[in-house]
Amino acid sequence: MRSSNRVDLPLPAAPSGMPTPASVGVIALNRMAFGPAAGDLAAFNALAGDDDSRLQAYVDQQLNPAGINDAAADARIASSGFSTLDKTLPQLWADHVVADPPWETRIRPVVETQLATFIRAVYSRRQLFEVLVEFWHDHFSVFGWEFYEAPAWVHYDRDVIRAHTLGNFRQLLEANAKSTDMLIYLDNWVSSQDGPNENYAREVMELHTLGAGGYFGTIPRSSVPDGPGGVKAGFVEEDVFSVARCLTGWSLSADPYWDLDSGNGTYLYRANWHDNSAKNVLGVDLPANQPAEKDGQDVLDILANHPTTARHICYKLCRRLIGDFPPDSVVDTAAAVFLAQSSAPDQIARVVRTILLSNEFRTTWGSKVKRPFEIVASAMRAGTMNFLFSEFDDDTGTFEWLYYNTGQRLFGWHPPNGYPDVGEAWVSSGPRVMSWRLTNWLVDVRDDFDTYRLDAFTQTPPGVRSANDLADYWIDRILGRPMSVSDRQEVVDLMAQGFNPTFDLPLDTDSDLRERLQSMVGLIFMSPEFLWR
Amino acid sequence: MCDINRRGFMVGCSAAIAGLAGSRFNTLAFAQSGGVAASETMVVIFLRGGIDGLSLIPPIGGTDRGHYETARPGLQIPLTGPDAALALEGQFGLHPGAAPLLDLYQNGDLAFVTATGLTEATRSHFDSMEFMELGTPGIKTTPTGWLTRHLQTSAGLPPEIIMPSLAMGDLQQASLRGDRDTVNLVDPDIFAFTTGPWRWRPAQRASLRRMYGADDSVLHVTGTKALDALDIVELFVTDDYTPANGAAYPSTDFGEHLSVIAQMIKLDLGLHVATLDLGGWDTHDSQSYWIPILIDDLSRSLNAFYTDLNGAGATNYTDRLTVVVMSEFGRRFVQNNDDGTDHGHGNLMMVLGGNVNGGQIHGTWPGLAPGQLFEGLDLAVTTDYRQVLSEILIRRLGNNRIGDIFPCYGDYSPLGIVSGLDLPPDYGACSSLFSDGFETGTSAAWHYSLPL
Repeated sequence: MRSSNRVDLPLPAAPSGMPTPASVGVIALNRMAFGPAAGDLAAFNALAGDDDSRLQAYVDQQLNPAGINDAAADARIASSGFSTLDKTLPQLWADHVVADPPWETRIRPVVETQLATFIRAVYSRRQLFEVLVEFWHDHFSVFGWEFYEAPAWVHYDRDVIRAHTLGNFRQLLEANAKSTDMLIYLDNWVSSQDGPNENYAREVMELHTLGAGGYFGTIPRSSVPDGPGGVKAGFVEEDVFSVARCLTGWSLSADPYWDLDSGNGTYLYRANWHDNSAKNVLGVDLPANQPAEKDGQDVLDILANHPTTARHICYKLCRRLIGDFPPDSVVDTAAAVFLAQSSAPDQIARVVRTILLSNEFRTTWGSKVKRPFEIVASAMRAGTMNFLFSEFDDDTGTFEWLYYNTGQRLFGWHPPNGYPDVGEAWVSSGPRVMSWRLTNWLVDVRDDFDTYRLDAFTQTPPGVRSANDLADYWIDRILGRPMSVSDRQEVVDLMAQGFNPTFDLPLDTDSDLRERLQSMVGLIFMSPEFLWR
Repeated sequence: MCDINRRGFMVGCSAAIAGLAGSRFNTLAFAQSGGVAASETMVVIFLRGGIDGLSLIPPIGGTDRGHYETARPGLQIPLTGPDAALALEGQFGLHPGAAPLLDLYQNGDLAFVTATGLTEATRSHFDSMEFMELGTPGIKTTPTGWLTRHLQTSAGLPPEIIMPSLAMGDLQQASLRGDRDTVNLVDPDIFAFTTGPWRWRPAQRASLRRMYGADDSVLHVTGTKALDALDIVELFVTDDYTPANGAAYPSTDFGEHLSVIAQMIKLDLGLHVATLDLGGWDTHDSQSYWIPILIDDLSRSLNAFYTDLNGAGATNYTDRLTVVVMSEFGRRFVQNNDDGTDHGHGNLMMVLGGNVNGGQIHGTWPGLAPGQLFEGLDLAVTTDYRQVLSEILIRRLGNNRIGDIFPCYGDYSPLGIVSGLDLPPDYGACSSLFSDGFETGTSAAWHYSLPL
């Protein structure tokens, strides 16, 4: 409804209503994890004697995922009945492309990757790794639910994104440039000297490396200011054309070339498709007739080591890990590490470490809101939900449908720029109402034995039985911090329903009360406080 | 729930919305309050990815036909045979799959505007879309969209409207960025508070109203609006919508979204602005496969929408309807080697409605000879897209606050695309808005930092 007090000037809403400041533990578990699971805050606080040391220990632990025992999540994945996650790329191609199976089989690799991603977000102890996997999927966004993209999705997720998530950006960029999914999605696999396709060439600069801030439009290259080392500060249309030519011949196995079903899905350099003429990229001359792939490798070197790229990547990482409008100070510090460590095999981990140990990280709260993926993952984590993400479980189908409607279907963003990562994009009524629908379903869905899959009662300590105590226990459990007095009162009132909130409720014998407790937990999931990060 | 029947009173509903329920079937109230313009509905359709306008209305004669055939050896729309272009006007034809649009054109309800777009020289999807939708070419940090600012500055609107704006789709379009009164949804049938233990849903919903009403952060304000949206859909929208006048919407997302908009218009909720998208136009490859599919969806959906609303007498809604169709840029004149076209520049727009001077092609055709192309590559832009939108704003929506809606745009003159009353454009002050209002607002609304 439109309110009657319209303003005359096009100004945004005034800042106000800020959330309750959170502890360092809550900040860490909401921004380098998908929210606190039961016991996570206590474990964080037990890491050391003060917040600084705790954060440092937690960051060190999380940046070494191999050192974290993740048997529980692995076991869940192993028992979900997945059949594609261990296939090599040629196997995926043979089974899901060449065999020309029915659609549901064809897309099984992306379906199973999606379900495994939910399992890991909810149950994996390598939470920072999962947060960053999501980041890189957004950064190198590909619409996965397509005819040729879906079959290779296991490869894209496992061998391209996950293999380099904490690694070296230049290597990640090259793996991405040569990946089956990106080659097909942005058309470079068909780009030849006869008519270079500009699709990937443009986006690799505008989205993957230099960023839109490094785009100078259609002015002549000579008008772009010089950056360090004589490399231009950004790119122009001429560079889009020349990079497209540099990358001609970066293709996929197939014979005849146009029939992807005749190949095995792997990268193939086609020397006879390559434009061998001399080129200039961002002011750097590339001579004619370079060795195989050299033009493209030079382009990736120039882009990956460019200060504008460092700033773009670090800005986005800070926006993901700190807030929608990260301060320049931390972006600049991270960008300096990005450039200094450009050859390090753990370059990305070092940059992330710099960001997470910055003052800005530990002192900023409420400058981000949860997107639907974080809403659902954090609700399931907080409620220790026992959910089987499996194609063979009817509730998983319902879950997928409800989640789909939130607007953040995994690998489901059509354009190549990835899901928006600022709160403003997610606060309209569509994602909000659809997220409420999903979390309220989570507290109501039961297994074959009629047990709630997110069973609040069995997780509530025996001594906690009054409406006041039940509210306080679950608020702390879910948020790790207090709610405002009035919001807490709403939670209490929902549970008390007019009775004295200090009286113990006979939850043990009254299933209606246990159902009310489920709705009380659901109310916390739908509250404003639950959405801040 | 917002439950009227069972309890006899509204639980969790906004009393204000319930109070407006009785007045909704009163278009006269709008007319008296703000003049005709207040009862107008503008539907803004964005074709994401950059439609190849030269496939929708290709040149079919003159020297440009020769240039076109040379540039598009594999993608040209032929002049003869079963896939021949339909005759549109003079040197221009229409894609053979767009026959449903030809009906609208020949009835005088549909107009094309050629060679429109951004005067900014960019071939980036994301820059172009943000520039256009925020209404500030060259600036992407503007915190509000052009439609948001139209709604804020429109003097003709009554103070209270049930649903002033509707954004169809997963997310609210950037043209409505920062608008807190917009209802955003995909499907009204599932836009409902119908999960969770049913017994406690009314109590949950009442609690959420109080929780989100207790403060005025962006999250709180938008949460309250989400609850309002639930009330509105629940109170007014029925599940079984039957289109009128034999209109047959395609069973596509786009067709279904348009049918929802038609339903909302007929419900007389005061819908003034609606936005929706049709994506998939970024045809770098396989254009000859995709373009017919996309044009079929676009054409049949628009025809069904217009037919649905174009009844006689009291069921005629098209006399207060203006639909505008736009896209971020046109495509490269010369096709690439992959049955596709890369990013270009100038493009067409479409305007549809009961007061459109249709059946004609507006704008200035710059030509397709090498020397006439933008940078020698693309169709040039001869009409700023803001000129087209400003004409609709002024002549149909009665809002002349052009300087607020398109800051620093200053050379509007009507092309004659729609009929209506001319008002002198109010350009406001260009620079102060930007230095004082836009840049600082963005982060202030969100950023929260503890003392270091």
